Amino acid sequence: MTINKQKNENGLLISLEGRLDTTTSPAFEQELKESLEGVELLTLDFEKLDYISSAGLRVLLSAQKTMNKQGEMKIKNVNETILEIFEVTGFNDILTIE
Amino acid sequence: MQGDKSSIWSRFRSGMTFNIIGMIVLLLIVFGIIAGAVGLVNFTSAFENEYATTTYHMADTATTLINGSHIADYLEGKRTIEYMQSKSYLEAYCKRIGVSLIYVIIVDTSDYGRFVSVFNHVDNTVGNTNYVEWELGHKRDTTNDEYRAKYKAIYEQQSAYETVYRNNPSDGSLPHITTMVPVKDSEGEVTGILCIQRPMSELVGARRPYVIAVAVATALLAIFVAVFYTFFMRRQFVNPISKVASEATRFARENTKGEPLGKVSRFKEISDLSGSIDTMETDMVNYIETITASAAEKERIGFELSLANTIQVNSIPNVFPAFPERTDFDIYASMTPAKQVGGDFYNFFFVDDDHLAISIGDVSGKGIPAALFMMVTNILVSDRTRMGGTPGEILTFVNHNICEHNKADMFVTLWLGVLELSTGNLIASNAGHEYPVIMQPGGKFEVFKDKHCLAVGAMDGVKYKDYTLKLERGAKLFVYTDGIPEATDHDNRMFGMERMIDTLNKFSGDGPEGVITGIKREAERFANGAEQFDDLTMLCLELK
Repeated sequence: MTINKQKNENGLLISLEGRLDTTTSPAFEQELKESLEGVELLTLDFEKLDYISSAGLRVLLSAQKTMNKQGEMKIKNVNETILEIFEVTGFNDILTIE
Repeated sequence: MQGDKSSIWSRFRSGMTFNIIGMIVLLLIVFGIIAGAVGLVNFTSAFENEYATTTYHMADTATTLINGSHIADYLEGKRTIEYMQSKSYLEAYCKRIGVSLIYVIIVDTSDYGRFVSVFNHVDNTVGNTNYVEWELGHKRDTTNDEYRAKYKAIYEQQSAYETVYRNNPSDGSLPHITTMVPVKDSEGEVTGILCIQRPMSELVGARRPYVIAVAVATALLAIFVAVFYTFFMRRQFVNPISKVASEATRFARENTKGEPLGKVSRFKEISDLSGSIDTMETDMVNYIETITASAAEKERIGFELSLANTIQVNSIPNVFPAFPERTDFDIYASMTPAKQVGGDFYNFFFVDDDHLAISIGDVSGKGIPAALFMMVTNILVSDRTRMGGTPGEILTFVNHNICEHNKADMFVTLWLGVLELSTGNLIASNAGHEYPVIMQPGGKFEVFKDKHCLAVGAMDGVKYKDYTLKLERGAKLFVYTDGIPEATDHDNRMFGMERMIDTLNKFSGDGPEGVITGIKREAERFANGAEQFDDLTMLCLELK
């Protein structure tokens, strides 16, 4: 999986590519931990993300909780497979999906 | 014995002492030869210069014994008395100063190719020669170019005297020099040449001791250096290196820490080496201890994990048939963790005689954290279920309790249903879990798209909703975790929902055990030995 970061004033755009699963999510979690400070708008671009497992969902949940305290988190370009996962797990209720 | 000897010799020959000392001795010998040769050349040259100067003085003195203005007259037979007088002086002088030859010649100055002898005195005893005295007027040709050039130099007064060296004469006489000085008339014109041939017997006499002295000195120095160096090298170089080498060999064999080598030599490099060996031994021994300890730790963890696995497997019903006395339904379930312990679970138990609770869950993440979370969730769910209430109420309660202490942001997808066995009425709540698959009698297995709520533990305060459905007699309910549809093969292809439903329908005629073993076998065949990253858990109930 590749993680691309783009930072502007108060916002951070992270594009994920590949699979966000047990093997790859610790790296993503570490990346978020290091870069979320002071960020008011976190945008996650899932255009090239193929799959997300429960480990990946846990990282999203953590990020959502952090962003709830300091701003806003949005997820864009979610493909059908992942959208279905969000719906099945009920995560679409707590995530902002555009 | 022969073999022993040759092996000792070859060991000696390959040893550092022999090689380095041998090299030094060889160098000393070469140096001695070069120094001796250079010394000999310088010695000879200095001796010759000194000899030439002395001989020049002799010759110069001899010219005072003859009258240079009259020597041409003697040849014509004039002034015979004066000639005889001078001849007797020269003869006496020749004997007195110990030279082989004194002679005076008049050279033809047209090309210096011939000369006439005026005086000639021989002393054959001095230089072991057998010269014959030349008569007055004896004529000779000068065939030797060196002599011709020197005669010319004397006549033209280019130098005070000339010398010809014969270090190794071809006629067998001793090495000698011939010194030539001009004989001048009263006007200062050169009228003839006076030559003295003097043997250099002292040179030969002095040269031999010199060569012997150099040879002996070189040999003595070589022996001294060899002995001293052998001692020094053995002490400061060979012995320390042997010590380091044998310690390294011992360590390689025993892998235990030995006596520290310390400072074994005054050479920094060798002391550094021994220091490095000491450090390496300490580090290696520590490393080996660490490795051993970590291997033991790993073994212990492995043992604990297998124990944890036993506890986990036994925390859920795992003996089938689970209720052999009940004929109104049949249930079968299976859980295969990807690691030793997993985050999946299923459970079923009677709330009362007529109500059977069924749960299946999947904790985010894997391994020990997931297993701990799973245990807590399963216990909370089953305890709360036994207290009564709808699945929605139960999940709301469980979610609140988990969220209160959920520092790791873990969550669990959970499906909980309570089935009234007498009627087939099922009340269920789905907290972000996979859709159940239901087969009504006479029909096929079909995905039941139920209402979905958020996974348990994700957010506090969520109200979980119930839904109801009726299972007819003969209906089958199949619940599972995502490990089934997401089982992957070597090419990263997923088993998929469609294939799962097809497989279920393939085994729809079988009881719950047949359905589950069938799915498991098909999923395993699909994966074809590829490592599975997710736990495989499923449960099947048939209402009879």
